[in-house]
Amino acid sequence: MYAILEARDAGVDTLQRARQGDHEAFAEIVGSHESMVYGLAYHFFQDRGRGEEIAQDVFLQLYRSLDSIESPSHLLFWLRQVTSRRCIDAVRRAKIARPVPLEAVELQSVIKDADPFLERKLRQLVADLPEAQRLVITLRYQEDLDPAEICRIVEMPINTVKSHLHRALTALRKKLGDH
Amino acid sequence: MKILLRLVLVFALTPVVYAQRVNLDFPGLADKAREVVDVTLDGALLRLGSRFLSDTDADERAVRDMVDRLEGIYVRSYEFGSDGYDRSAIDAVRKQLGPTWKRVVSVKSKTRDDVEIYTDLRGDKIVGLVVIAAEPRELTLVNLVGPIDLDKLATLEGQFGIPRVSKKGDRQ
Amino acid sequence: MNLEHELRAALRRKSPAPGLAERVLARAHEVPERRPVRRAPWAVAASLLLAVTLAGWGAHRRAEGERAREQVLLAMRIAGSKVAYAQQQVRGISK
Repeated sequence: MYAILEARDAGVDTLQRARQGDHEAFAEIVGSHESMVYGLAYHFFQDRGRGEEIAQDVFLQLYRSLDSIESPSHLLFWLRQVTSRRCIDAVRRAKIARPVPLEAVELQSVIKDADPFLERKLRQLVADLPEAQRLVITLRYQEDLDPAEICRIVEMPINTVKSHLHRALTALRKKLGDH
Repeated sequence: MKILLRLVLVFALTPVVYAQRVNLDFPGLADKAREVVDVTLDGALLRLGSRFLSDTDADERAVRDMVDRLEGIYVRSYEFGSDGYDRSAIDAVRKQLGPTWKRVVSVKSKTRDDVEIYTDLRGDKIVGLVVIAAEPRELTLVNLVGPIDLDKLATLEGQFGIPRVSKKGDRQ
Repeated sequence: MNLEHELRAALRRKSPAPGLAERVLARAHEVPERRPVRRAPWAVAASLLLAVTLAGWGAHRRAEGERAREQVLLAMRIAGSKVAYAQQQVRGISK
């Protein structure tokens, strides 16, 4: 119990110092959350450059909004929400073309478990999903969030989130031949 | 004198085998790729890796049996975005394969890799292997230098906890 | 195959290139990124020698050996799967 309280206090203290202009504290915050933010953006676009661009934009926005962050848990929620919004905005602005049709990456079911590139193929299949499904799937499986948490981040009704999850998993299973 | 004569005869009659390493590095592939798998193992590093394979794990022992006879293992695998990649690299690999190389397998697929397997044959022994596996957004190039048993290499698909596939496509 | 398990593995968090915080702070203040301090070559060499000695050659060798082992397994698995796939196609294995 003591260790948990101490860690929580450390997070609050770091946030406080960052608000006061302590760059080291801000760098600590970035270090703690960069793999989450970058990961969301990377998996959404399957692109390191876009991931870096979005991660920088998110943390820059955080730097300028530190006063509005109330607590470490609020910080986490804020980062997930802002990252999600920026991903969707970037897609809409750039009108990114749909990637290669899924048939080009169809797996042969008899040896799908033997395929050393299954993770890579799954990431490609996820990147090929419509943007809302893609975002919801990434939040669910990268961040291990349940639909109730996801719907708060993406500001959609919970049934819409569940529907996106269901459709995305169905589409992925179909393409993997797993029925 | 007799021993010396025997040694001379052994060297004279043993075919001299020069295994060939094939260049798998071409400009524009790694730079354009989203993800790269790059393995270069030969000489001391290959021996070191082989020594660290487990003695108690049957799968790793099988790998070590194969690897101990190899002189080099070279793998380049690239994943690209929707723009794909310049396929001239595939021709560049093929052009390096001299008269001792034979294409033993060629698979064309609309939905999966096109795969070509080439072996460097000296007498009846394979002393080198090149695999080219090409998909619209992925390219895998493999070069193994040294004696290779293709059937044993294919059984590695069944290693590491991965199900084998029988001829009828049933899982075992 | 457990799709949810595979998705968790495929979509695990991913680290950006090192120095993200510095890049963000540089943009925030519109100053050039800090350049790495350039040390005299002899100082670099002396530091390296000291580091290797302190770390212990044995530990380094073990780490190198483990990395080489992983590379061996990865490479042979890739080669094996492509050869197996080609053989299966040739032998007429269907889905």
